[in-house]
Amino acid sequence: MNEDESAPARGSQVGGHQGEVQAGGEGGLAAALRGSRRGRAFLLVIDSWARTLFGGGAMVAILILVLIMVFLVWEGAGFIPEHHRSLVLYRRTGQEFVDAIRGPLVEHQALNRYLSRVRATDVDEMRKRGVGEAEAGEWLAAFDTFAANFRAAGAPLRSFVDGAAAVALDIKGRSQGWQGSDAAREANRLRELLPGATAALGEFESALRASMASVPASAGRGSEHAWARFRDMSGRLAASIPGAVARATAWDPDRPVPMGESLSAFFLGRRWAADSEWHERYGLLPLLIGSLCISAVAILVAVPFSVAAAIYVSQFATSAERGLIKPTIELIAAIPSIVLGFFGITVLGSGIQWLSGQPWMSWVPFFPVTERLNIFTAGLMLALMASPTIFTLAEDALRGVPVQFEEGSLALGATRFQTAVRMVVPAALSGIIAAVLLGFGRIVGETMVVLLVAGNRLEIPDFTQGFGALFQPAHTMTGIIAQELGEAPGGSLHYRALFMVGLTLFVMVLMINCATEMVLRRFHRMRG
Amino acid sequence: MRRPRRRKVGGAVPLAAWLWAAGLVAWAGHCRAGERLVIKGSDTIGAELMPPMREAYIGQGNDASFEIAAEGSATGLMALMEGGKDSCQIAMSSRELSATERLRVKMEGLDFLEIPIARDGIAVVVNARNPVACLTRQQVEEIFAGDIADWSAVGGRAGPIAVYARGASSGTRSTFQKMAMRGRDYASGARKMAGNQQVAAEVASNPNGIGYVGLPYARGRDLRVMRIDGRAPSAESIRDGSYPYSRPLYFFVRGQPKGQAARFVEFVLGPDGQRVVREHGFVPLDGAR
Repeated sequence: MNEDESAPARGSQVGGHQGEVQAGGEGGLAAALRGSRRGRAFLLVIDSWARTLFGGGAMVAILILVLIMVFLVWEGAGFIPEHHRSLVLYRRTGQEFVDAIRGPLVEHQALNRYLSRVRATDVDEMRKRGVGEAEAGEWLAAFDTFAANFRAAGAPLRSFVDGAAAVALDIKGRSQGWQGSDAAREANRLRELLPGATAALGEFESALRASMASVPASAGRGSEHAWARFRDMSGRLAASIPGAVARATAWDPDRPVPMGESLSAFFLGRRWAADSEWHERYGLLPLLIGSLCISAVAILVAVPFSVAAAIYVSQFATSAERGLIKPTIELIAAIPSIVLGFFGITVLGSGIQWLSGQPWMSWVPFFPVTERLNIFTAGLMLALMASPTIFTLAEDALRGVPVQFEEGSLALGATRFQTAVRMVVPAALSGIIAAVLLGFGRIVGETMVVLLVAGNRLEIPDFTQGFGALFQPAHTMTGIIAQELGEAPGGSLHYRALFMVGLTLFVMVLMINCATEMVLRRFHRMRG
Repeated sequence: MRRPRRRKVGGAVPLAAWLWAAGLVAWAGHCRAGERLVIKGSDTIGAELMPPMREAYIGQGNDASFEIAAEGSATGLMALMEGGKDSCQIAMSSRELSATERLRVKMEGLDFLEIPIARDGIAVVVNARNPVACLTRQQVEEIFAGDIADWSAVGGRAGPIAVYARGASSGTRSTFQKMAMRGRDYASGARKMAGNQQVAAEVASNPNGIGYVGLPYARGRDLRVMRIDGRAPSAESIRDGSYPYSRPLYFFVRGQPKGQAARFVEFVLGPDGQRVVREHGFVPLDGAR
């Protein structure tokens, strides 16, 4: 590279391969003119060595990338048959049968949870209206009786399901050494439970309808909506019970599971339960949605700030300001992510929690925040991490706009602001978009910060709470790999599921980078 | 022009020599590492008990260098199964071998030795601002499995219960699942935390939080330890078995330990080691003085 350094500054600004070759040739020529024939021969040898070395380096990089891809696909592809086997087992050993009966019970539990939220709204409503102590107490007593009745409606079905689950688990435990006829005999053990299941479900339905007849009146207008929703949902639950009976009746341990279900259960699954004795579930959705929510927050926060800073630094700042701002922002990228994560927990997380608890913040509906590890905090931290990337690239793009554009605009009497907003930014727009996309890629792939700050709850955030969902914890695709790969035995279904998550992540980031490349190419064509 | 270039070409040879020498040194260091004791596994044991144990052991004039990694019981057991002597000599575990692990040990013919080193209670902790002071075992199971989702259902202030559990590699997680939840799955809303300390910190900051930690971690201004069926965890209630959630802590080794590892295990089980156990909030083994 000596030639390159010594090449005169007038060399092409384009950089890239063409420039280098040209500069190299020029340097060699100058030396050869000055030196002997032997010197020139030596130069040529060096030249070919350098070419081999650099070319080799590039080849190695490409090779390693291909190796990574092959490795990911290899390990991930094994997931499909393995997961399929697990789903077949789920059907054959009767977990599916029991889960069909259990379905309404799970819904019932969600309704119980919703009911306690309704109670909180009602109490709030009464406090707002200034209802007297006695009246409120009376209402609460009525409510609690109803809630207890409603909860009790599920008790007989639950004990039935517990019994059936024990049978299914027993079958699963013994399924290892099955001969052909064993499976049929074991399935009959479960089929014998069907009349009992139908009866228990019917009883549950009538108990549900009976308790619904005595729904207490809502405490005020504010909670009427919540009550209406509760009535609606419990009506739907009662109506769904015949469907559950039908599903349990239709259970057939020998019905084949289509191979595609292995994939759809992964990509559309809403539950990730790796250490379940009952049935390991690997559903991507909670992780994907967690990752996307956090990234969305991060992008929404990072883009305005870093693009504005880039516009300021490239268009308005004096060179002294530029010399201060640019290195400072870029320094953020040098902070180790574990340090940022630690900061996120102890300072930002606790700070937001404290702030949301202040009396003057109480008008915000979902404040105070009880969880200090949540989507919002993680998003803010990632915004901080992505802003140097976005800032630097956007600033480069803005400075790349030919100075003639600017001068022309100024000469026509536009102000600096008009020039910046109407002339320079549109001209550099694709560069800015590329910067944002690269920042997005960085955010999606970040691991340590989200592992520490996002709260790691494997559940899809409850979006019925509106923006309050942003203050719930979530888990991410990167976080789950970091957290669980260490304990997943090599080659197991769990291990392969984590590779599938990694593969999905890789494809996502690859697509983002491709999009960036396409945008940039357009940018060059426009400029060129 | 030529001079600097020559110097650069010449520079490559010493550079390679340096790299080679560095590699040699690293290799030599690797060979010497036979003296080192590599201990991996449970966070419960490794974070709170092992550092003072190491100090006490070295304080007795033993010349040993330790490498301790505490990232969950499963990680240690896996390292012990997979690696040779260099990667892990002693695995710490806060649970017994799981069914799959036992199967693997049997199939590969590994000679696993299980050595109980102390007892530990798992404390159920809540935020100090939470008025609930006592839960039944039934309630604990229902809370962690997600059947009960609001504090008002167990006599507290209304508010959604935030369950803090440990990550999947944790022995405490699976022990608790067996002991307190009859093997049921954790609620899907349970947060997975990396260590005891993290669970304690989050429960201390969240007024609606509940979690479980090894007894020595259950302290702090904003934490309150729950009584279970009227029993608070303590050295006495754990030793006599009246507190329901207690468990032995183990070392696992492959074959009879030799050399440094043998001396260390002997130390831990001896009176001095068991004193360290007691001083740091764990419960010594029954026979220990």
